[in-house]
Amino acid sequence: MLLKGLALSFASSVAWCVLFNVPVRTIVAAGLAGVVGFLVYSILPIYGAEVLLSTFVSAAAVSLLSQLLSIILRVPSTNFSVAGIIPLVPGSLAYKAMLAFVNNDYVGGITQATKTLMVAGAIASGLIFGISVLTIWKGARYAGKRAQRD
Amino acid sequence: MSSDLVMDTCLLAGSIILKNGGETYRTEETMALIAKAAGMDDVNSSATPTSIILSFRCSGLDHTRMVRTPKRTTNLNKITLVNDVSRQFVGGKINLEQAYRTLREIDQKKQIYPKWLQHLAAATASGSFAMLAGGDWGSLVPSAMAGLIVNLSQEYLEQFVRMKFFTEFSAALLGGLFALLTVTVFPQLHLSIIIIGAMLPLFPGIAITNSLRDLMAGDLVAGVSRGVEAMLTAVSVAVATAIILSFTR
Repeated sequence: MLLKGLALSFASSVAWCVLFNVPVRTIVAAGLAGVVGFLVYSILPIYGAEVLLSTFVSAAAVSLLSQLLSIILRVPSTNFSVAGIIPLVPGSLAYKAMLAFVNNDYVGGITQATKTLMVAGAIASGLIFGISVLTIWKGARYAGKRAQRD
Repeated sequence: MSSDLVMDTCLLAGSIILKNGGETYRTEETMALIAKAAGMDDVNSSATPTSIILSFRCSGLDHTRMVRTPKRTTNLNKITLVNDVSRQFVGGKINLEQAYRTLREIDQKKQIYPKWLQHLAAATASGSFAMLAGGDWGSLVPSAMAGLIVNLSQEYLEQFVRMKFFTEFSAALLGGLFALLTVTVFPQLHLSIIIIGAMLPLFPGIAITNSLRDLMAGDLVAGVSRGVEAMLTAVSVAVATAIILSFTR
């Protein structure tokens, strides 16, 4: 079951890369980012994490991994993070919200829409978390170099 | 080193990045790095998602120019290539003429993947995402076909409809109609799974990531405007889905 999910997340990430003309030499790495995101996203709930927490952690993992890959392969990190968050997209939540609105269940619709927005916010803050961690690391390294020079 | 060539090179690099879906802060940084490496003083660059301004001082004279980038697509390959060129130039591996010539070649480049492969990719992405959302093997092909229809109609409508959001809305509507038709013919399939898969090619992934990165880099105007772009796309897809769902009542 997990294996099927991993294969599917790899396929959807790589296909998404092709849609956005990601360079050929980075496409497998971008698929890997998607797989890691999905892996974290599906393993955390087993240990009792909620959807929001697991989305946040997996988005942060994707973001950190894309920053690392961008340093290793010397390409912009957008190449990886865009594809990596695809398995996390809250598609079914958004669909449920629309379904509830159409069926005149406004309270249920607002509940689902808020959930969707929270998950989207978790993806966003996870990505931001990854970027900031690396910025701090870069800043620390820069400060270290400056201290050596002085 | 002539200041005109420096200006041309910087603006070309900046406009390639902006035209092909790069972040605004990357545009500004790349232009400033090239101009500084070419020996210009007092370099200032400013970019919004639709325009670039660059100014620097060269042997006592101020130079400023502005370009607009009205049409935007997503081609991350070109951004990677421009990134390589600017690294090589700043590192002193190539000179300014070579950098300018390479940038011109990059600007003329076509998309690396042929059209049919991109449509196939849209179908693959939709199909596998539908299965990730809880579909069984039977829903793979219908959602892949719906995703294909969404991507095809988006590309076809783009040529006639000037408004990006209306294109996305119509593409989502057509994909949803196909999903509805499939479920009417084969009642054992789930409409939800097929629609969730079909809308994936319209997901504004680039706009969201770029908006966040711009906001983090302190480019507040660009970040907010990209974020609004992503939200409008999401809303047009949601409204199209709601219209499709209202047919099922």
